[in-house]
Amino acid sequence: MNKTVLAAIIVVIAMLGFTYVAVGSAGGMGGDGDWVNKLAVLGAVVLVIITAFVVTKYVRQMQSDTASGKLADENWDGIGEYKNELPLGWAVIFLGSVVWAIWYFLAGYPVNAYSQIGEYNEEVAAHDAKFDAQFANMDESTLNAMGESVFIVQCAPCHGLQADGMGGKAADLHQRLAEKSVKYVIMNGGNNNLLGTSMPMPDRNGLMNANTNALITDAEIDAVAKYVAGGLKGTEGASVFAGTCAACHGPDGKGMEMVAPNIAEMSPSMVDMVLHHGKKGAIGQMPAFTNLTAVQYKALDAYVASLSKK
Amino acid sequence: MENRPLEYDYTVAKWFMLSTIVLGIVGMLVGVILAWEMAFPAVNTIAGSGLAEYTNFSRLRPLHTDAVIFGFTLSGIFSTWYYIGQRVLKVSMAESKFLMFLGKLHFALYLLVVVAVVGSLLLGITTSKEYAEFEWPIDIAVVVVWVTWGMGIFGLIGIRREKSLYISIWYYIATFLGIAMLYLFNNMEIPTYFASGGIGAWYHSVSMYSGTNDALVQWWYGHNAVAFGFTVPIVAMIYYFLPKESGQAVYSYKLSLLAFWGLMFVYLWAGGHHLLFSTVPDWMQTMGSVFSVVLILPSWGSAINMLLTMKGEWQQVAASPLIKFMVLASTFYMFSTLEGPIQAIKSVNALAHFTDWIVGHVHDGTLGWVGFMIMAALFHMAPRVFKREIYSKSLMGTQFWIQTLGVVLYFTSMWIAGITQGMMWRAHDEFGNLAYSFIDTVAVLHPYFTIRAVGGTLYLVGMLLFAFNMYKTMTSSRRVEESELQNASPMGA
Amino acid sequence: MFHWLEKNPFFFAVAVFVVIAFAGLIEILPNFAQASRPVIGTKPYTTLELAGRHVYIKNSCNACHSQLIRPFKSETDRYGHYSLSGEYAYDRPFLWGSKRTGPDLHRVGNYRTTDWHENHMKDPAAVVPGSIMPAYTWMFKNTADIDTAYAEQLTVMKAFAVPYNKELPMADGSKVTVALADTVEGARASALEEAKVIAVDMKDQDVKDAVAAGQVPEIVALIAYLNSLK
Repeated sequence: MNKTVLAAIIVVIAMLGFTYVAVGSAGGMGGDGDWVNKLAVLGAVVLVIITAFVVTKYVRQMQSDTASGKLADENWDGIGEYKNELPLGWAVIFLGSVVWAIWYFLAGYPVNAYSQIGEYNEEVAAHDAKFDAQFANMDESTLNAMGESVFIVQCAPCHGLQADGMGGKAADLHQRLAEKSVKYVIMNGGNNNLLGTSMPMPDRNGLMNANTNALITDAEIDAVAKYVAGGLKGTEGASVFAGTCAACHGPDGKGMEMVAPNIAEMSPSMVDMVLHHGKKGAIGQMPAFTNLTAVQYKALDAYVASLSKK
Repeated sequence: MENRPLEYDYTVAKWFMLSTIVLGIVGMLVGVILAWEMAFPAVNTIAGSGLAEYTNFSRLRPLHTDAVIFGFTLSGIFSTWYYIGQRVLKVSMAESKFLMFLGKLHFALYLLVVVAVVGSLLLGITTSKEYAEFEWPIDIAVVVVWVTWGMGIFGLIGIRREKSLYISIWYYIATFLGIAMLYLFNNMEIPTYFASGGIGAWYHSVSMYSGTNDALVQWWYGHNAVAFGFTVPIVAMIYYFLPKESGQAVYSYKLSLLAFWGLMFVYLWAGGHHLLFSTVPDWMQTMGSVFSVVLILPSWGSAINMLLTMKGEWQQVAASPLIKFMVLASTFYMFSTLEGPIQAIKSVNALAHFTDWIVGHVHDGTLGWVGFMIMAALFHMAPRVFKREIYSKSLMGTQFWIQTLGVVLYFTSMWIAGITQGMMWRAHDEFGNLAYSFIDTVAVLHPYFTIRAVGGTLYLVGMLLFAFNMYKTMTSSRRVEESELQNASPMGA
Repeated sequence: MFHWLEKNPFFFAVAVFVVIAFAGLIEILPNFAQASRPVIGTKPYTTLELAGRHVYIKNSCNACHSQLIRPFKSETDRYGHYSLSGEYAYDRPFLWGSKRTGPDLHRVGNYRTTDWHENHMKDPAAVVPGSIMPAYTWMFKNTADIDTAYAEQLTVMKAFAVPYNKELPMADGSKVTVALADTVEGARASALEEAKVIAVDMKDQDVKDAVAAGQVPEIVALIAYLNSLK
């Protein structure tokens, strides 16, 4: 076989191999619906094959053909010019591309009817219809798995893949409240819409300890912060909790409807509130995430709530 | 030849050859640094954290693009113009004191602008519009440089002996007009210092266009800066240097003609393909796609014309590294001008846009086509300009293979990186959620970024070999007689 | 005809110009006729936000980050609602970018906060493990150029009737006025007020001290700008 042809075949195979590697490392073509992936890969393949084919054709002509034709009268710095006709293939494909262009403009993406937003709406509707139906009734493990999948893309950038808050840069989701957060809320009060309504909690100047009948002291704050952060276990700080916090948050810290949120553990509804309203606390501001579907919220709520129970 | 040959005056061509080499090295070196920064972010602070502001990726990136476009490529264009122009118009610069003065002024002003650009970009003085980053004082200087060049072009044409314009001249005229029009419209801006009555930085300006309109004008410019900087003038070069070096007549006048006028008409429409799925009107996007695809044929017309010019001349291709450069340049030109339109098809663009596949596409055009062609042009010019043979043919061959390998590593790695990342961005998992967080799609690219950096480094090494070869050619190579300079360039071992 | 053109450079040049200018006329003019109109809820930038935008441009953030969310499910899932033309009405220049080495930022104000940006700009890999973004430590030391931002505000108000000091309708039915000071001193003062609000949420003591001393570090302006991207 001719060396040029062989080289062209090797190049084509190599480039197709690279494309295959790319598709593989992206985790495949993305299911039956994704025309974009398929067309892009097809385009890449066509590009390689056509270029190799055409260039090989001309290199073969360099090797075996000879130049001929009628020379023009002019001559520039010794450069002549043949009066050869257009290469037929080139001319035909040129016309073909013009025909294709007209088709694309009038029928492919019809100028009077196509709208990219319309196309987007259809894409979203089809996507939602497919997955909403499939995941309408999930068991708990599916719910958690789906929640984790949302978490990785939407939440992990701040809370970390381990949901540990990456060294204090965001809340550690494995516990309901860090010591620092409890203190922050007691010092500054709080109003984070965790109950779905605006229900402010007073700061320390409004927090009485029923045991001492006085405002809560620094030492008591330290103690109760440890107690709450520790999951309301042990004895240290328990009495302060009972005297100061239990009235609203309940003796077990699980909160009361319309009065105070659960501070013993995270509940799905609370996570949902944080996602919808955002939250401000000891670390900083967490923005609201309003871009998820109902199913995604449900899954994410369940998953995050499950983290604090582990 | 019945007449005594004209004594062409290559002074200005020579100066621009030097700036091509120097700015080429600078621009490519910055590019290589950028490539390593993407593979290994620690390189961002390679000069210490105190200087990190000036060595980090984002500050250097415009410097790279502008140095290779307006430094290397534009110098190459000017240099070849001051060489080809005289020869195909059959008139010497020495015949007109005025044109000679204009040429020298052109070079001096150009250097001033280059210095101003490098300084201002390092300081972060930029309008942010790609390849039009310069603030208004530099824009004005650019216009002056351009007009000076234009006067030189039309002055030389005005006193020409060869009445009919050679193909290369068509393309140089188009380069001049195209860039002039694009640059002026895209850089319409109001200096805020004057408009506000003397507040703030004197050099700052604000664009006349806002939002979507600004994007439209910018990519009408940006895409066609590629047209009239990377395509049109480089085609001008190959139409002269390939037939001249090989001694072959151009294959077909008709094909030259159709390819030229086709390119002129179609290219300008294609800018819209940078804005697919953006907020510009749908019909305009479709038009960008459509014309991009039609553009394949005028582009390929010139390349095919050149390849057919070499019909039956394989022994020359095999024997001369200089012709190898040009033939491979045509091939990369074809590859690149088919790749671009494929990426401009809406469904493909949905995946390819914003990824490294685009970066790969740009570089197989610039490294493989523009770079190779400009270096080949300089190789051909050197013996005529310096009256010495090319210092080393074997070094040229080595350079050819090193750089070819560099380009291949570059575009294959970016090919994989782009398609991978594009697919990962789009991927949904079995729950219908996004399958990858953004950083996953970055981490996966590390090996490809590394391969790309190696490819870029190889290309830079080739560029340094080129500079060395040229330096030796200018200073210590064997002297040659006019009779050796008809076609194939004389080369030392 | 072509042979004739090739012998007459002037007409040749005219012909080339006509052929290349044609596309621009048809593509660009129609869109200008219906100049970018702001959508409800779009506001012009405040002095500090604009100064932050200048920091963004100065450091070519747009070389790696786009500000254009395309209408695909995969993009709106990741970045929020697709971009609308009118949202860019006050963007001079536009900052769509052409490469996403990092993620899109058109609505980054919706899902990132001051303290996140502060941590991230100081050491990106500490916040996003594996990030290849360089640190921008000098932004914590350099002072933002408030004067130039103010000069630009004045310019666009005069030249393009950008509605400063005017009531603008918001999506929720409320009205918002973006005030523009009468003097450069006034602009500096109002920018400092904005900066103080940002600095409260920041941890870097040097930045807090600078703001307390009446200066605005670049990072504060930049964060104000990023927070405004919604």
